[in-house]
Amino acid sequence: MRFIIQRDQLLASVQDVSKAISSRTAIPILTGMKIEASPNGITLTGSDSDISIESFIPQESDGNVYVEEIKPGSIVLQARYFSEIVRKLPEQTVEIEADANLKVIIRSGKAEFNLNGQSAEEYPQLPKLQTDDSFTMPIDLLKGMIKQTVFAVSAMETRPILTGVSVTLQGGSLHFTATDSHRLASRTIPVEASNVEFANVVIPGKSLNELYKTLDDSEETVEISVTNNQVLFQTKHLNFLSRLLDGNYPETSRLIPEQSKTVIQAKTKDLIHTIDRASLLAKEERNNVVRLTTLDNNQLEITSNSPEIGRVSEEVSVQSLDGEELKISFSAKYMLDALKAMEVEDVKINFTGAMRPFIIQPVNDDQILQLILPVRTY
Amino acid sequence: MKTWEEMEKVQPLASRIITNSIQKDRISHAYLIQGARGTGKREIAQLLAKGLFCEQKTGIEPCNACNMCKRIDSRNHPDVHWIEPEGQSIKIEQVRRLQKEFTYSGLESDQKVYIIQSAELLTLNAANRILKFLEEPNKKTTAIMLTENSQAIIATIRSRCQVIDLQPLSPTLFYEILVESGVSEGNAVFMRALTNDLNEATRLLSDDWFAEARKLVVQLVEMFAINPDDVYLFIHRHWLAHFKDREQHEQGLDLLLLAFRDVLYFHIGNEAAIVCFQAGDERLERLAMHFSQEQLAIILQQLLQAKRSIKQNVHPTLVMEQLTLQIQR
Repeated sequence: MRFIIQRDQLLASVQDVSKAISSRTAIPILTGMKIEASPNGITLTGSDSDISIESFIPQESDGNVYVEEIKPGSIVLQARYFSEIVRKLPEQTVEIEADANLKVIIRSGKAEFNLNGQSAEEYPQLPKLQTDDSFTMPIDLLKGMIKQTVFAVSAMETRPILTGVSVTLQGGSLHFTATDSHRLASRTIPVEASNVEFANVVIPGKSLNELYKTLDDSEETVEISVTNNQVLFQTKHLNFLSRLLDGNYPETSRLIPEQSKTVIQAKTKDLIHTIDRASLLAKEERNNVVRLTTLDNNQLEITSNSPEIGRVSEEVSVQSLDGEELKISFSAKYMLDALKAMEVEDVKINFTGAMRPFIIQPVNDDQILQLILPVRTY
Repeated sequence: MKTWEEMEKVQPLASRIITNSIQKDRISHAYLIQGARGTGKREIAQLLAKGLFCEQKTGIEPCNACNMCKRIDSRNHPDVHWIEPEGQSIKIEQVRRLQKEFTYSGLESDQKVYIIQSAELLTLNAANRILKFLEEPNKKTTAIMLTENSQAIIATIRSRCQVIDLQPLSPTLFYEILVESGVSEGNAVFMRALTNDLNEATRLLSDDWFAEARKLVVQLVEMFAINPDDVYLFIHRHWLAHFKDREQHEQGLDLLLLAFRDVLYFHIGNEAAIVCFQAGDERLERLAMHFSQEQLAIILQQLLQAKRSIKQNVHPTLVMEQLTLQIQR
């Protein structure tokens, strides 16, 4: 294998790929970065077995030649040293050459590094992409969906399947659901008609957070395809693969109450500020409980009481308040998470009694749904 | 031992049990393979894993040449997980990591294998945690546990595995292998008493530390007979300077055990079994004059007790001091 490459392009790719590489891994080869040269360009791959990132540097793009004198081949190099080396090389061009004995020479200007590589055959094989099973969506929409759901995944390993976000694509609508069994966040969007359908695909929350950070806002669309074990997010030069969680995601649609007894419409900001203030005295170890009481004249009272510390109460006026009177306690943290994730001005909250879960939705938009279980207080 | 055919020569019964279940496609979800050092536990585990992943099997034999087989050998296969003791035991953290891994789908395939080496070193907590997924294995998961002593594994794990006992290597077979690989006959006799792992034997024989250790052992035994007053000094000046970590101390005690056993054999006329000394060595005669059979029996017991103490983390200096005092008595 041999090629000469522009350092800036190489560095950008190396930095992208390094995000997936961790120094503590069970499989020794994964501390390395795979470099594969083909006549069309150079592919770099990094993986910590949960997520894998592939970055492609084309031989030329828009008339700019990035890679020259390519002799195809592949090699695995220690990622730690390789990325440091690339960062500190003196010249704009880099020559990388590997021989049959897995010895690698990196030359730039008058600097020359001799590294010991590992065989690329040892590297895990990532699934081949099948482009006919994929669908495309705008990146900002995907990032929005991730942001609105992924915070609700469980942080506990006791039910591993809940540490992921369940993704289904059916009848042209894409649906994300996350729950930690005390709250639930879900978001639906229509996607452009495609003949792909899947269900029970559970993507680990950690991977989605990583994907959120990796996806570049400057690019427009991302292509998503799902295979048996992995899900692939593909942008122009970057492939992001994540393994899926094994198991069946619980059926969540029945949890969502259909009627409601009390309906509140309010300004999101007002609610966030009021609950935030009330939660100052709510204690962490008691689930941050605050209490909401309906009053007359479109007024709510938010209170919180910790006997050792003190008591807070605040009245807040809402736009409308219909239905039965209500006293309900819930976790301020969950409520704030849900309200902040919504990113709309006005929200509608549907209650079905003090002991039943309630749902929060934007006014006039039922694609976003946040469900929270109340806390029993005496 | 890279094929079942070779394995069958060394472990006929065990390999027949496993190859039969491969042929009938009835591989158990968990194996507990028990056998002394060098009996081929790891090789069997590797063969089993290759059998599950190899793409070009001929019958039951893995090809040992494809990508899958090569990566299983180099431990780079992403769906074959090896758990080894970190330090003295296999800790719960390692099991937790493994458990987490098993909540994910496979990286390349839809099946997974995990191999736990020295499973007797699982801490009680770790073992109980493992139970959980031994009990409810995910689809297509194969557990292979390797141990030298299946009795040291908690009964709840043992009862959930198919236990496969490996027979100890026959000493004569090992002797022949050693001689074939160019070890002198005297050394071969000696090594077969100490180990039954060819690699370990050749490594020890080419190790300066080990040669020195053998010399020290003979010196110490002689000193007990000739100059018992200086033994304590000898222990501090030479023995403890040479034998440093626990493993080395255990080896030293093993050597002492063999040496004293030789003296006993000399007493009862079983000279064919003598390993440390050459038969007809006059040193042996002198030693036999000094130690009676009863004394020797007690000494051997004390050596075994010393080995146990070392295993239980008693300070080696104290163990050796106590041992010498007891032998002098």
